[in-house]
This record gives sequence, C-alpha cells and structure tokens, in this order.
Amino acid sequence: MSSQAVVIEGLSKMFPSPNGLGQFAVIESLSLEIARGNFASIVGPSGCGKSTLLNIIAGIEPHDAGQVRIAPQDGTGSSARIGYVFQSPRLLNWLTVEDNVKFALEAQNIERGCWDERVKKYLDMVGLAGQERNFPLKLSGGMQQRVAIARAFAIEPDILLMDEPFSHLDEITARKMRVDLMHILERARPTILFVTHSLREAVYLSEEVYMMSVKPARIFKHLRVEIPRPREPEDPRLFDLEKSLVKEFFAVLEQDHR
Amino acid sequence: MNKQIALRCLSILSFVGIWWAGSLLSPPEILPGPVAVGKTIVSNFTTAGPEDKTAEFHIAITLARILFTFSIAMVLGVALGLLMGLRRKVELAFGYLIPIALTIPTLLAVFLCVMWFGYSEAGGLFAVIMTVTPFVTVNMLAGTKALDKDLLDMARAFKADRRLIIRKVLIWQLMPYIFSAFRYAFGMTWKIVALAETFGLKYGIGYMFSFWFEQFNMVQVLAWIMLFVALMLILEHGVIARVEERVFAWRPVHAL
Repeated sequence: MSSQAVVIEGLSKMFPSPNGLGQFAVIESLSLEIARGNFASIVGPSGCGKSTLLNIIAGIEPHDAGQVRIAPQDGTGSSARIGYVFQSPRLLNWLTVEDNVKFALEAQNIERGCWDERVKKYLDMVGLAGQERNFPLKLSGGMQQRVAIARAFAIEPDILLMDEPFSHLDEITARKMRVDLMHILERARPTILFVTHSLREAVYLSEEVYMMSVKPARIFKHLRVEIPRPREPEDPRLFDLEKSLVKEFFAVLEQDHR
Repeated sequence: MNKQIALRCLSILSFVGIWWAGSLLSPPEILPGPVAVGKTIVSNFTTAGPEDKTAEFHIAITLARILFTFSIAMVLGVALGLLMGLRRKVELAFGYLIPIALTIPTLLAVFLCVMWFGYSEAGGLFAVIMTVTPFVTVNMLAGTKALDKDLLDMARAFKADRRLIIRKVLIWQLMPYIFSAFRYAFGMTWKIVALAETFGLKYGIGYMFSFWFEQFNMVQVLAWIMLFVALMLILEHGVIARVEERVFAWRPVHAL
C-alpha cells in the first residue's frame, strides 16, 4: 500500500437511464493502482465515464460501490491532497493569476508563510513569471490553462488529476503545452492520473496506460511505456506503439458493438 | 473619451436650448426659462423659504430618507434573494409572495401606508422599503440561478470550505446582480421617496414640490425638480458608476 499513491477497487457508478426507467452502469467494478510518482493515463472514447471517474476520485461525485484510497505522501493519517486540472481552466476570473493559485493554497490550509514562495515557484515553472498581477481574462486560453496547471501543482498534491487538459486548445498550443509538461515533470514529480481520448498524447506523456472501453467503463488493457523520458514527440517508437494500440482499440470497440 | 464627454455635454446643452426656446413662446407662469429657474434655485439656498428652511435642509432630509430606506431594502432584498436561491425550501415558502409584491402599484403602496400609518415618517419609509425590497430579491434570485456549477466543483475539488467558497467564488459571481439590483433599487428609492414626500411626509424636496404646486408657482416647482434631477444624476453617475468601475476592473472593457 505504501508504494501505491492511488488504489481503486471494484468501483461502480450508476446513472439514471435516459428514458427515466431504472439505471445503467457508467462504471462497473473498475480497479486500478498507480504507484507513487508515476504518470498514468486512462485512454478511452468520449463519453466512456473518464471524467466521472476523476470526479469520484476528487470526491465531488458520489459512487455506488467499491473503494477509492489515496495515500498521503507523508504517510500520516491526514487526508490526501488532490490537485485537479479540468478541460477548461475554471479560474476565478475576478482574482489575479497569483490569487488564483493562492485560492488553492488557502483551500488546502497550506501555511500562509509559504504562499509567496509556492506561487513564484509554480508560476515560473509553467512559464508565467511576470503575469502574477494580471487578470485571467487578459490571458490567452493556453496561458489560462497554464495558470490552472500551476494552481494544481502548487498544492503539491498526492495525486494530480488531469482531465483532457489540452483538448480545448488549438493543436499548436496543445503540442507546446505537452512538451512543456514533459519538462515540468523533470522538476516536479507528483503522481498523475491523466485522462485523454488521444492515444498519441497518452503514449507520449505516460509511463503507464490504461485503456478503457465504453458502457460500462472497464479497463481492458494495461501497459507500461518503456521509453525513457524526456521523450521527443516525433520518436518513431511512440508512433509504432500508438499504431498497435489503435488497432487493439478498434478490435475491442467492435466487439462491444456486437 | 473626450469626444464622449463632449457629446454628453451637447445633449444637455440641446435640452437647455429647447427649454429656453419653449419658454420664449409661452407665458412665464406656464414655462419659465432656464435663467429664471436657475436664479430661483440659487435664491432657495441663500434665503429661507417656507417653514423657515433653506434648500440644504430639504436636501439633507431627502438624502437621509433615501439612504435609510435604500440600505434596509438592499440588505433585506439581498438576504432574502440569497436564502431563496440557495435554499429550496425558502424559495417554495416565499416564491409566490414576490410576484404579488411586485404587482402592487407603487402609488397604491404609498396611499396604503398613508392609510395605515397616517401622515407619519414611519408610513412613508415603510412604503419605500415595501416596494423596493421585492425588486432586489428577484434580482438576487436570478443571480443564484446563474451560478457556475463548474467553478463550485473546482472549489470543492480543492477542498475549499464554505467560507472560502462564499468569499472567493459566490460573492463575485453575484456581483453583477448585486450592482444591477443596487442601481435599480436606487432609482426606485428616490422616485418613491419623492412621491411619499409629495403626498405625506413633512420636509424634503418632494414636500417642496407639493407646497409650490398648491401655490401654482411654476418657477419654484421647476426649480425643485431640476435640483432633484441634478442631485440624483450626480449620485448615480458620479458615485455608483465609480464604485462599479473599481469592482469590475477584472473584466475586459468590451464586456462591460
């Protein structure tokens, strides 16, 4: 247990059926473990319940069966710190960039004395030094998402949840952000659970990939990406891996349709 | 920016111009000109009028009444609107009372209060609070309906407690609604205070309208109306608009 940051066992989540009669399972007895300091991705088609899974882990959505355990890094009984980067930045537009980061620090009861240092460290890390006093709406979409990333890193979470954080950005910005995230991970190594529908993004960023099918969401494959990081986005080994995984994906999806 | 100010001055100048032209065409007891009215306003400040009071006295009384009723209506309305918006049971309990209160014509509310309380200070002030509060409540209720659930989820995911959520997430989202309620309530308050003063209250600018109205003294009636309008415009555009600019500094200019 101590080497695992996150353990999920037999997790199920029911939603009411669209016709109003009864329920259907969005997630059914899903189990996974993520070792401390690992970068794990969950890849699955849209609407397969990935965001629901992250919300359950974050504790903002209830679940119907199973267990989610998050171990605090210090091994004490105190509750775990969870960072969350959403698809859209979800910033408090009336607060300056630095106050947005401080909001998370305050929410997590982090000692006021280290706020300035944390704000500086993590805004520098995401490349936003000098933007501290700016308001979010004066920044581009990509920069806003960087603020959201700094906010999540700044609490130094036991687990960092990322829900398709680059899917709302144009491809050029998204690509730059992925490369930058790769470099950030050389300096800070939180445990990350990254959700995406892009296999390419998953194999480029992660050490572990979980592949998920739809309705109910279940994991049909788990693999490790044994290519040392930092990686080059154009690394041919990544392309080969992606190609073979895509094939497997379609095979499973077709099976599900029968 | 300077162009805008120039245009605004132009609109005021053309108003005065039309007024002046009209006054040349009609007898002074029907439409006295701007100069006569201006002189009357000045003399109202320098020499005591009826009840041996100068204009400052009446202005102070009217402003005090506005401030008093406006503050109470804002606090009551905001509190009730928030309670209704955030607590379903309160909304069910009070939901129907709001449209009823909004439907009662303002003029009737003033008459009702005169009948209940007589020509007393309490009656007039009660009428104002009674008519303004529901408008503030409705605005705040609309604000709570427009709260962004995604931001609340974000705050909860980061484990923000209730106090922090209220301080940094809720209040700011409600700010546009608070301000529109503020402006609207302020506009309503001064109109109803003037009305209540005209019909029942002693002293105040509205009281002076009705005093001079009964004497059929057109110069004085216009002098008091102009004074009143000028005062309210200064308050609305000079004070409230400035505060608003401060609070909404975070919004890009085109969103305003």
